[in-house]
Amino acid sequence: MIGTAEGRRRPRFRLEPYVEFARTAMAREATYRFDVFTTIGSFVVRVYLLRMVWTALYAHNAAPHELSRHAIITYSAVALLMGIVMDIDQTRALKDKLHDGSIATDFLKPIIVPFYFFADGTGEVLFHAVLLIPATLIALLIFHIIVPAPAVLAAFALSFFLGYMVGFFLNFLLNCSAFWTLEISAVQLIVTWLTDLFGGELIPLILFPAFLQNFIYALPFAAMFSTPLLIYVGVIPPSRYLESMGLQLVWIVVLALVSTVMWRAGSRRIVVQGG
Amino acid sequence: MGLGLRRMAGVYRQYWRINILTTLEYRENFLVWFAFTFVYHGSSIAALWIVLSRFPSMNGWSFRDMAFLYAIWMVAHALHNTLFSTVGEIPEHIRDGEFDRLLVRPLDTLFQAIATPGQVFPDELVLAIFTFVAATIYAGVHVDALFLTFIPPIVIGGALIDLGINLIISTAAFWFVKVDALRWIFVQLEQEFTRYPITIYTRSVRLVLTFVFPFAFMNYFPARYFLHKGMSGLGLPPVAGLLTPAIGVVFVALAYVFWRFGLNRYQGVGH
Repeated sequence: MIGTAEGRRRPRFRLEPYVEFARTAMAREATYRFDVFTTIGSFVVRVYLLRMVWTALYAHNAAPHELSRHAIITYSAVALLMGIVMDIDQTRALKDKLHDGSIATDFLKPIIVPFYFFADGTGEVLFHAVLLIPATLIALLIFHIIVPAPAVLAAFALSFFLGYMVGFFLNFLLNCSAFWTLEISAVQLIVTWLTDLFGGELIPLILFPAFLQNFIYALPFAAMFSTPLLIYVGVIPPSRYLESMGLQLVWIVVLALVSTVMWRAGSRRIVVQGG
Repeated sequence: MGLGLRRMAGVYRQYWRINILTTLEYRENFLVWFAFTFVYHGSSIAALWIVLSRFPSMNGWSFRDMAFLYAIWMVAHALHNTLFSTVGEIPEHIRDGEFDRLLVRPLDTLFQAIATPGQVFPDELVLAIFTFVAATIYAGVHVDALFLTFIPPIVIGGALIDLGINLIISTAAFWFVKVDALRWIFVQLEQEFTRYPITIYTRSVRLVLTFVFPFAFMNYFPARYFLHKGMSGLGLPPVAGLLTPAIGVVFVALAYVFWRFGLNRYQGVGH
């Protein structure tokens, strides 16, 4: 009855359906307009709070030579801007569809199902990306964040995109675990908190104690936030762009491979359950 | 009146019996959520430690002081979560019409809302008490009769401040129905603004945290008193740290007046 991902003949790839999926996701998100207010409001308050925190810390201690007070406030503001699009549970549709069983009919459709989730998540993320415009204006006009040279900005944008892909695959992997276990929201929250801390979203990783840094750089979280942010504030100089973004790329490839394996194993399970 | 209280006590006992039985039934679920609670508080304290290992002083507060500051808030907050988290579910009951059933039953509506069973377990509170004891020793706080007498009412007062906020937001649901975003903002603000001594904030923020939403009384003022930190920034004497129980009672009373006001005007959401 239900075709497997592999057993079915692969349909000829067409891009249009996925563009449409993304568009639908954007329209769906647009119905929750109050979230706009919450997102912007919480962004302003948090940057304001972090500015007070860093100001107090820099006033009473020797400043770290890598980051001036202005640079670290910029770092925090840009990290929170990135969070607006990064902190989205973009493939939660996978989990929801596994819970209510509607994933079965998706396998019947002439689409590549993981691409559907990518398109759906991207649509949601693009809607939230619109919020970046007012939030960035606020960051520039009220908090006077540093704007680096265009070349650095371009490198930041590329690294941000790579970080987004790392985040996508991590999120997809977590939601994939719903193939095996139903209660994953607590695990997801745990991973969110670890990402905030070990990804350098809250505190720049270069300020961590040395013995912790070795451990943190071995995790994929730094590739999500820390790399683009350190490029933005100039701690990672142009001579190290290739190396830093190469590492991000390695994480994308590794996580994509693991995702493929998990997805194959998971979707086979669906068929077994469906008889 | 006496009979009413006895009935309430009976209902409340049943409420806890169901909570505990539910938790025992879903043991794995409970363990996963406990891990979440642990990581949540653990990563907050770790973040403070990382920052203060690089910048040893936050306006004169060391990591030891900050750990004590966090621990007082943690106990009060955990006490609130254990006893009153159900108040936060009122907007959901209003939305799905469940709330209207509470109105026709012969017991106080708010009490019924508080005693709606779910999967509540005092695990966070136990964790918080351990953390508090450890932080007290670590911070070198002088434990005397005064400390032992005042800490329990201070913690209860802090939980009442939390309850007041929770109740005000839930009452707003009588008019706005969906208040999740509002609650989310307040939860975030409370967590982040109680983490640091209020002297690092601008004067207007200090005034709001002291006199409008008195989160500073949950932990900053008591911690300042027990750690003998002189400066305040608002001209309040150190002994203000012992006022938390009174502030908690007054704040929750104001929230209750607002609740009664909203309840009397409540017309239902059209079920």
